[in-house]
Amino acid sequence: MRAFSFTIASARLGWLLSRPFASCLVVLALSVTPAATAAAPGVSATEIVVGSIQDLSGPIAMLGAPVRDGMLMRFDEINASGGIHGRKLRLAVEDAAYDPKKAVLAARKLIERDDVFAFLANMGTPVVMATMPLIIEAGRPHLFPFSPHESTYTPLEALKFQMFAPYQDYMNAATRHMLASGRYARPCLLYQDDDYGLEVMKGVEAGLAASGASLAGRTSYKRGATDLSSQIARLRAAECDLVVLATVVRETVAAMAEARKLGWNVDMLVTASGYSAQTHELGGAAVEGLYGVAVLPHPYAETASPELAAWIGRYRARFGVAPNVWGAMGYTIADLFAQAATRAGPELTVEGFVAVLENLHTGRDFFGGPAYRFSAQDHLGNRQGRLAQVRGGRWEIISDYLE
Amino acid sequence: MTASPIRSAVGTTIAVAAVAAIALGAFGVQQMLGQLAFVATYAIAGLGVILIVGQSGQISLGQGALLAVGAYVQTYLCLRGWPALLALPLALVLGGAGGWFASLPARRLGGLYFGMSTLAFALIVEEVLVRWESVTRGSAGLAVPAFGAGGWTAGSPERQALVSLVALAAAFWCCRRLLASRIGRAWRAVRDDEVAAAACGIDPAETKTRAFVAGGALSGLAGALYAHWIGFVSPEQFGLQLSFELLILAFVGGVRSLAGALWGAIVIVAIPQLLSPVRDLLPAGLANAAGFDAIALGAVIVAVILFRPQGIAGRGAGPGD
Repeated sequence: MRAFSFTIASARLGWLLSRPFASCLVVLALSVTPAATAAAPGVSATEIVVGSIQDLSGPIAMLGAPVRDGMLMRFDEINASGGIHGRKLRLAVEDAAYDPKKAVLAARKLIERDDVFAFLANMGTPVVMATMPLIIEAGRPHLFPFSPHESTYTPLEALKFQMFAPYQDYMNAATRHMLASGRYARPCLLYQDDDYGLEVMKGVEAGLAASGASLAGRTSYKRGATDLSSQIARLRAAECDLVVLATVVRETVAAMAEARKLGWNVDMLVTASGYSAQTHELGGAAVEGLYGVAVLPHPYAETASPELAAWIGRYRARFGVAPNVWGAMGYTIADLFAQAATRAGPELTVEGFVAVLENLHTGRDFFGGPAYRFSAQDHLGNRQGRLAQVRGGRWEIISDYLE
Repeated sequence: MTASPIRSAVGTTIAVAAVAAIALGAFGVQQMLGQLAFVATYAIAGLGVILIVGQSGQISLGQGALLAVGAYVQTYLCLRGWPALLALPLALVLGGAGGWFASLPARRLGGLYFGMSTLAFALIVEEVLVRWESVTRGSAGLAVPAFGAGGWTAGSPERQALVSLVALAAAFWCCRRLLASRIGRAWRAVRDDEVAAAACGIDPAETKTRAFVAGGALSGLAGALYAHWIGFVSPEQFGLQLSFELLILAFVGGVRSLAGALWGAIVIVAIPQLLSPVRDLLPAGLANAAGFDAIALGAVIVAVILFRPQGIAGRGAGPGD
């Protein structure tokens, strides 16, 4: 049978009316019904629904899954202790796999079907940039996305809040701090050839300019590259004494391993994207001595405070794996949301929630994370990171938060 | 021989209607219309693949780059004040020009070697988009204004769906005309036996170029619409993954039939969304497993390949077959 042989008279577009296709269109056309709206979306007498668009199967799924787990864990704890003013928190998670097309559809589902009150920790710049306008237009707060793009908090808009500064800010301060030690005269940069790498480059250059220095060499790689031997050879030829790495885990390990293989014991400083337990788990001795920028300290069981150790135990019991820094970030994000929602009172509205968040000042938590301060003029809660170094096979914090 | 096709058509109709009804029950209207806009847009891109791969028998591994050309041309012009409706034809033309450029190696290369050259074309385009910062803003990407004309904007899903369906209808009509013409017959002749086609007076290189120009123009159109519906373009969106996604779309839908583009787009765009409410019904441990959607989509694709090896629309024979 011909798939599109059902025609009407001599119409040239008869294919358009073939039975399967026409059926789809008719059913779709008949389905147009007004969507229900509520005064406070996602808030009922018994629950508050919060949405999150994560990467659970795409290129950064290793970040998305623990972030989601951390948020789920915090919400479960709050629910177990009675919820927020008697309402349970429910997290509706959609997997966009870092694909903006899927993310747009997921955002529409969360807005229309799940009727979420707010979006928390959406993952990835393309995802965030594609969905943020939809979310804002729907009148839902867009909170704490994992994207270094400055449009997540500027220009100032009532519904946009961010707690992670652009890489530029962190790397500016970290570079200045490293150069202030007086040990480095020829800093260099190895960067991923995308928005992430360019953002880091801007921060490093700004930090160097403030220190009266400039890059002695720079080289890039394509995302997904596994062999960085030519880049390392080039940086070595430039006689670098500090290499800033705008890399993620695998490339960080590859860069350090290649340098050590050549007998080149240069110091390296990686961004927060390389500050991961996987870096020293994969790299072993090769990454010993690596400097990293930490926004939140890694939750190690061996050196944990009693409160952190208890949290690690609960996380293990809940998910069957040891937590990492991304899980701690997810937990922190969910906790910030809960703090604001609690202070907004029993009559939770978007306006009331935003007003509270604009005055939210938190202290340091048991993770050792930074204090977050939001205001009506500044919706970015923190601009500071701190330095860590791989010592004895684990990250060790070596500075306080850098100005 | 007549009862079976009728039963088949009725069965397909009932199945599609049932799926659509379930989807409508599970989703809101806005989301369904949003999906329809993407299905139609991807179907236009799928038509481009079908012309090149299914009709003229060439391997194209760089179709995503042709979408990128359309998306960036449209974005660039709209950001400089061009009405989207006026920019659209230019995106289409430059998409066709990109197709022409990608087809140049076909004059000397064939088969897999030519396929590799299209891969190189895709990598070059991605690199240009990253490097040409003054125009593309590099990896930082560009925000895209809403599609509109004369004060009317397609900001809502229903308007986006309407624009996409009109564009798809026009694209389908053009493709039907092309396949029924001398050009379409030449494509199929080259696909089936290049030497024999040449012996009949058909210039294989010229014929392949025409297929790439037509496929590139369709990709340019799809890319332009895609840019508006997403609202943000960056080079990483148009990488090899998109090219392979479009190939999967064409083969799952049926690469020899124009209808295959629509069916493939439904599988690629809508099936992952249909899985979402199913996941909500599963136990949290299973539903929250990383990669659930990817595995489920993979299973659907494997099932299609097993039970409809020529694609969902593959048993049909359009004018091109």
